[in-house]
Amino acid sequence: MDAVQFLQNFLNGISIGSVYAIFALGYTLVFSILGIINFAHGAIFTLGAYLTYSLAVGQFGIGGLLADLQLPFQFSFTISLFIGAILSGMAGVLVERCAFRPLRTRGADPLLALVSSLGVALVTVNLLQYLVGSEIYSFPSDVYGDIRPAFLLHIGEKLVVVRTVQIIIFAVSMVVLALLGYLIGWTRIGKALRAVAENASTASLLGINVDRFILYTFFLSGFLGGMAGSLVGTSFGIAGPYFGVSYGLKGLAVIVMGGLGSIPGAVLGGMVIGLAEAFVPSEYSAYKEAVAFAFLFAVLLIRPQGLLGSSQIQKV
Amino acid sequence: MALLKLKNLSVNYGAIQAVRGLDLEVHSGEVVTLIGANGAGKSTALRAISRLLKVREGSIYFEGREITAQAPDAVVRMGIAQSPEGRQVLARQSVLDNLELGAFVRKDRAGIKSDIAKMFQLFPRLEERKDQSAGTLSGGEQQMLAIARAMMSRPKLLMLDEPSLGLAPLIIREIFSIIRNLNAEGTTILLVEQNARLAMQHSHRTYVLEAGQITFTGPSQELLSDERVLHAYLGG
Ligand SMILES: Nc1ncnc2c1ncn2[C@@H]1O[C@H](COP(=O)(O)OP(=O)(O)OP(=O)(O)O)[C@@H](O)[C@H]1O
Ligand SMILES: [Mg+2]
Repeated sequence: MDAVQFLQNFLNGISIGSVYAIFALGYTLVFSILGIINFAHGAIFTLGAYLTYSLAVGQFGIGGLLADLQLPFQFSFTISLFIGAILSGMAGVLVERCAFRPLRTRGADPLLALVSSLGVALVTVNLLQYLVGSEIYSFPSDVYGDIRPAFLLHIGEKLVVVRTVQIIIFAVSMVVLALLGYLIGWTRIGKALRAVAENASTASLLGINVDRFILYTFFLSGFLGGMAGSLVGTSFGIAGPYFGVSYGLKGLAVIVMGGLGSIPGAVLGGMVIGLAEAFVPSEYSAYKEAVAFAFLFAVLLIRPQGLLGSSQIQKV
Repeated sequence: MALLKLKNLSVNYGAIQAVRGLDLEVHSGEVVTLIGANGAGKSTALRAISRLLKVREGSIYFEGREITAQAPDAVVRMGIAQSPEGRQVLARQSVLDNLELGAFVRKDRAGIKSDIAKMFQLFPRLEERKDQSAGTLSGGEQQMLAIARAMMSRPKLLMLDEPSLGLAPLIIREIFSIIRNLNAEGTTILLVEQNARLAMQHSHRTYVLEAGQITFTGPSQELLSDERVLHAYLGG
């Protein structure tokens, strides 16, 4: 591989890696607060992609109950992405209400929520299939308006191609990361959120409404999941209602790689997995996922707690 | 009217009855001590008042209002703060953030700021360590932080669960003199202590809890010279 090829792979890697990072943070936030994985996160990813698609395009595809339905509105991509993420956040809140809270208030074993969240995921995916069918949805190429589809970097004889959507994905993810970092690190809400993550009963002794902050967490998590799904969807198309499943697994690989419950770990893990995939030679691209997981195992052999995890599992 | 009133309070952990039929009153301006052997149910009673535990029977009143079924954050808003047993500082956040979180229910930025300054005056050691994460403080410093943090909500009733636990005698004296000062400034205090004599010397009234029930109660001065209390709790 020469330097130009390296640069090309690197740029591809950090673009997709940044999306993995914000997606994986959705898992991390919930894990920090409740100590469990929300298996519905991949379904929210899919849901977000369809929501943004329908808002931006204004119509559905040829299959499912909503086939050929024309929506009375259509928004710009930016606004659709934002509304799609907000609606995904609300779906996250719904997941909390349906799959997590009922078990929590009855004092059930937290592990049971794994099963109930998996149940919610299946229902969501099936419902999506019923509503929008199972064919691939591709965002129209003019969805960002009138901008060029790619930027070409000439380096000597060679060419580095950066698709505009890759730049959009990276920029949006970075803005989201920065805002999230600010929210959690510097605001009153963020401090309270970290207090709940560290010790929920101490937090409630300070007058923090723990249940409400759990809802906020699921909203943020759903927002990140839906936004990630929309970004991946605009880049590669929405490959049917099961689209989120493989990303859901990849997201798990990311947080395990970075260290469970660690926010910087999720970001680093996302970048590492994104880059690992990007450096898989194109003739082996069918094995991309396997390579990412192989990389994960290699890291875990050396650091079982993940790249930035502490040796004991510690939240946030 | 009592500031805090427990009427026939019973609290269970599953089948274990930790507090049974507890009657207790704290009046505005008082320091009231709750003593008793290990496992008598003192912490359980405080946790029930802070609404961290379900009440099985009986009722809790604060300023005449029943709070038996309130949420934990609601009673903090009403004016009850607790410095829990074992301190429970937020180890991963800074001393300053712990204090700010203590004022979570308040919105008056300026007041919060001046109260933090006041806590730093009261506990100069906390000011020197204000940017340090609370988990790196010594046990005594964490205890000071827990008390200061509870004060930050400007409670009408401050409940302290074993503030002297594990501290050197000199620091214990310091803590008790601070308790006395807080009370002089108008905070009502419900104090749970193993250090019975010192607690009684610093309080107006005392309740003695045994196996979840009150066995003695009266002005601390009188109980301090009561043969039975002397024998069982004061090592006399
Ligand atoms: N989480 C719990 N689950 C079950 N039983 C508990 C729990 N917490 C306390 N208990 C039991 O309830 C009883 C009262 O405990 P509590 O902590 O209120 O005692 P205490 O008076 O505060 O004792 P100490 O002076 O040792 O702090 C004890 O018998 C204890 O074993
Ligand atoms: Mg106790």
